[in-house]
Amino acid sequence: MELMKLEIVTPDGVVFNDDVKQVTLPGGEGEFGVLAQHASLVSLLCAGVITIETADNKTISVAINSGYVKVSEEETLCIVDGAVALNGDNSDLAKNLEEARKLLSQSKASSMAIASAMGKVEQICKIS
Amino acid sequence: MANLKDIKRKISSVQGTQKTTRAMKLVSSAKLKRTEEVAKRSKVYATKITELLSEIAQKMQNNDSLDNIFLQGVKNPKIVDIVFITADKGLCGGFNYQTIKNVSRLLREYKEAGVTVRLSGIGKKGIEFYRFNNVEMINTVIGLSATPTYEGAVEVIHPLVEDYINGKTDKIVLIHNSYVNIITQEMKIDQLLPVETSKLLLDRVSLSELEVEPDEDDALLEALVKRYVDYSVYYALISSLAAEHSSRMQAMDAATTNAKEMVKTLSVKYNKARQEAITTELIEIISGMESMK
Repeated sequence: MELMKLEIVTPDGVVFNDDVKQVTLPGGEGEFGVLAQHASLVSLLCAGVITIETADNKTISVAINSGYVKVSEEETLCIVDGAVALNGDNSDLAKNLEEARKLLSQSKASSMAIASAMGKVEQICKIS
Repeated sequence: MANLKDIKRKISSVQGTQKTTRAMKLVSSAKLKRTEEVAKRSKVYATKITELLSEIAQKMQNNDSLDNIFLQGVKNPKIVDIVFITADKGLCGGFNYQTIKNVSRLLREYKEAGVTVRLSGIGKKGIEFYRFNNVEMINTVIGLSATPTYEGAVEVIHPLVEDYINGKTDKIVLIHNSYVNIITQEMKIDQLLPVETSKLLLDRVSLSELEVEPDEDDALLEALVKRYVDYSVYYALISSLAAEHSSRMQAMDAATTNAKEMVKTLSVKYNKARQEAITTELIEIISGMESMK
C-alpha cells in the first residue's frame, strides 16, 4: 500500500511527522478519510479524534480541538490548536485521557461534537 | 588627595554591583535558552499557517475575488489600532526604549496625517511610559510579555479583530522587538490586518486545483485569517521575550565589563593614594630626624 506523509503541527510544536497509510480526520462537515494520492483539499477541522494507520499497521489516535487540514497528493498537513496523542508508544494512558478531556472541554465546538469526541476518546482508551 | 577609606568603600560597592550584573547575565542566558527552544518549536506552526493562508489567497486571486476585507483594506485608513509589546522589567539596554521610540514616531506620523490612533499596550515599561505622558490606551496588559500564552495573546487581539470586522477600525499594527540571534534584535512593525498580501508567498505556491471545505471561501478564509492574526501576536510575544533576554544578557555583560574596568582604575587610584600617604609619612620622619641633628 502506498504511503503518504502526515504532519500534525500545534503552536507548541510538531506532534506527529511520519509516513502513514491512512488517516481519518474530523472535518468541519463530517469525518473523512485520506489515502495517498488524494486530491488537493483544504478543510476546517473540528473537535474530535484523528485516527492514523501507520506504515507498520498500528493505529494511533490523536485528540484535537480545532484547526485546518491541507491535503495534497504527497502529504497531509494538519494545523491544529491543541492535540493530545492518546496511545502513542509507552505513554501514560490515564494522563493522556485526562489531558484529552481537558482539551476537548475547553474547545469552542458545539456540545454535541464534544460529547461524541469524548465518547470516542474513552472508547479508544478502553480498547488499548 | 582622595580619602583612602572612601576609595576602598567605592571599590567594594562596584564589586558588589559586578556580582549582581554577572548573576543577571547568567540568569538571562539560561532563560534565553528556554525561550529560544519555545520559539523554535512555534516557528514551524507559524510557517505552515502562512503557507496555508498563501495558498488560499492565491486561489482567491485566481478567481479574482481578492477584495475580501481581510486582504484588501480601506484605501485611506481613518482609525488605526497600534499594539506594542515591551518588557515588564528594565535593565535590558535600549530594548524598551526602541519600541517606545518607534511607537511615538508612528503616533506622530498618524496624527499629522489626521488619523485617529487607538493604542493598546502589552508590557509594563511601555504602559508606564505612555501613562506618564498622558497618552490614552484602550487596553493594557501586564505580565503577558514575561510569560506568553496563546490564550493571552488571543484575549488581547480578539476585541481588535472584532472591531476590524465591524468596521470600527481600519488597520491593526503590531510593534515589537524580535529575536534574530543572540546578539541581534530587530525592531518589527507588522501590519496584522488587513493581511499584507505582499508578505504572503503568493508566487511560490503551486497552482494545483484546490478543493475547499466548507465551500464558501470566505468562511474558511475568515477563520484562517483570525488564526493567523492570533498566532502572529503569540509568536511576536515569544520573539519579543527572547529578544528581551538576549538584550538583557548583552547589557549585563557590558555592565560587568564596565564594573571590572572601574575596579581596575579605582585600585590604581587606591594604590597611588596609599603610596602617597607612606611617602608623606616618611618625609615627616626624615625631616624630623634631620632637625634633631
